Amino acid sequence: MAATLAAASGRAPLPRLFSRGILALVLGVYTIYQLGPFLWLATMSVRTTAEISADPYAWPSPLHLDQFRTAWVDSDFATYFWNSTLVVVGAVAVLTFIGAAAAHALARYRFRGNRIIYGILFSSIIFPPQITLISLYQILVDYNLYNSLFGLALVYISLQLPLTVYLLEGFFARIPQDLFDAAKMDGYGDLEIFWRIVLPVGMPAIATTLILNFIQLWNEFLFAVVLITDPEKRTLPIGIRAFMGDHFQDIGMIATGVMISVIPVIIVYVFFSEKLIRGMTAGAIK
Amino acid sequence: MPDAISLRTAAKSGEAKASSRATLADPRRATRLVLAIFLGPALLVYCGLTAYPAFRTIFDSFFTIEGMDATFVGLANYRELMGDETFWVAVRNTFIWSFVAPVIDVATGLLLALALYAGVPFARFLRVAWFTPVLLSYVVVAILWMWIYNYDWGVLNVMLRAVGLGDLASSWLGDPNLALAAVIVTHAWKWAGFNMVVCLAAIHSLPKEVLEASDLDNCGWGAKLRYIIIPMLRPTLLSLYILSFIGKMKVFDLVWIMTQGGPLWATETVSTYVYKRAFNWNTFDLGYPSTIATVWFLVVCAAVIILNRVLGSRERLEY
Repeated sequence: MAATLAAASGRAPLPRLFSRGILALVLGVYTIYQLGPFLWLATMSVRTTAEISADPYAWPSPLHLDQFRTAWVDSDFATYFWNSTLVVVGAVAVLTFIGAAAAHALARYRFRGNRIIYGILFSSIIFPPQITLISLYQILVDYNLYNSLFGLALVYISLQLPLTVYLLEGFFARIPQDLFDAAKMDGYGDLEIFWRIVLPVGMPAIATTLILNFIQLWNEFLFAVVLITDPEKRTLPIGIRAFMGDHFQDIGMIATGVMISVIPVIIVYVFFSEKLIRGMTAGAIK
Repeated sequence: MPDAISLRTAAKSGEAKASSRATLADPRRATRLVLAIFLGPALLVYCGLTAYPAFRTIFDSFFTIEGMDATFVGLANYRELMGDETFWVAVRNTFIWSFVAPVIDVATGLLLALALYAGVPFARFLRVAWFTPVLLSYVVVAILWMWIYNYDWGVLNVMLRAVGLGDLASSWLGDPNLALAAVIVTHAWKWAGFNMVVCLAAIHSLPKEVLEASDLDNCGWGAKLRYIIIPMLRPTLLSLYILSFIGKMKVFDLVWIMTQGGPLWATETVSTYVYKRAFNWNTFDLGYPSTIATVWFLVVCAAVIILNRVLGSRERLEY
């Protein structure tokens, strides 16, 4: 590309070097802008609050890894972490199943109302969350699911269902029909086809939605803060916020708690960055 | 047709159920039972936890609801809303945010994508690095940026003082004139990577021949951008704009954690106001916030439809 650039503009090499230098500088600064805050957070998470107040930008030495132990044990972050894990893993597992089943039916079978059901499910993606928030609060109170992780998981399933169906429907529709015809000839029933063909063949797309849903629900704040009040049942986002409300000055410990919530996301990202990026963009391009 | 016969016997002798024999003629049809098994759970969740609550909120907007008691008040809530100054401030803030910020978002996304497309070194690393903030939760982003904006030791003021512009150092989130802009910048920081990745994917899917032809015609980058890339990316850019717009109409978490709508309602958005009225103020009335939610729901739907029309995108709305 550089060669074509030079050929196209026909400039001398020196200005080209100069403009490339400018570009590199801009990109470098931009990368610091995007990544710097996070790295700063990482350094603060292994420093004590006293050290941070002395100099917020110093390199962490010595490393106070015991901060993580303190946050985990003494500041209840272990509780928040396991609550988050329970709710998110449970919700994502159920969500993937019922989402995939619905997406398969919508993508594969011709029946009256197919596109209407798809359209109704899909349109709720634009709903502002407040339209369901207040009523969901009332409903969960009515059914004794308020302040329970089970209730929160149910709500999470409903929140991510439209996107899941939308992404999987698009993928399942591209599985060649021949595969299904052949399966029918082999005497597979409809449920077997779903179980033994759609799920294995659709695994890449299913994995993408799985990771996407995991991250979005792991980070979810609004519904958690409304539907959970018991400190024992807080998920990580509301746990961190509650901790910050109580210990506003304890910057080192807040940073450690924040890191605890971010580490699983970063691990997932390190392993599945391509899948994740593709999943998040799949909705926006067609 | 011997095939069909052998098929049928195979189906009979095999473990196939009645439904599969019935649908053998057209494999794209299924019995109602099969459809119900596949679609039932999803529709149940949708009806119970999305459609019913949405209708209930709209229904509730005509009542005053205190605890278990609901009193029908007709359109009183709506009349009150029209005269509610805080609501109008929230609407103004949300509209400023929703119409201005997406332009910034899409423009930065496109520029970043072009930089990567132009073949800078470490493009793969940069793409992954720039995308990272998208994955951080609003709680994390909000806390980080509250520290960045901190008056005494925040990065921004420290840098301003370091280059001798100490006069410009401000309490970014405490000044009503700056708070909204500060929160908008934070939101843009979080989402820049998303727009970049979408634009990059779209550029890569452009037909190679067109770009090569423009190279042969000695077309510079400016002209290429103006006459080829932007027109061809139009559908993607528009759907990104609308996507970004919808996101801003809903914005809650970031504002709630960073400023709680303050100072002096400078960053109040409709979402934070609904939350305040429903769960934070001691008004104990769920009817009035339902009214705000209903009105806003209609506004968002109308805005999306109008934007889709006005921007002339023939694409269906995505995401």
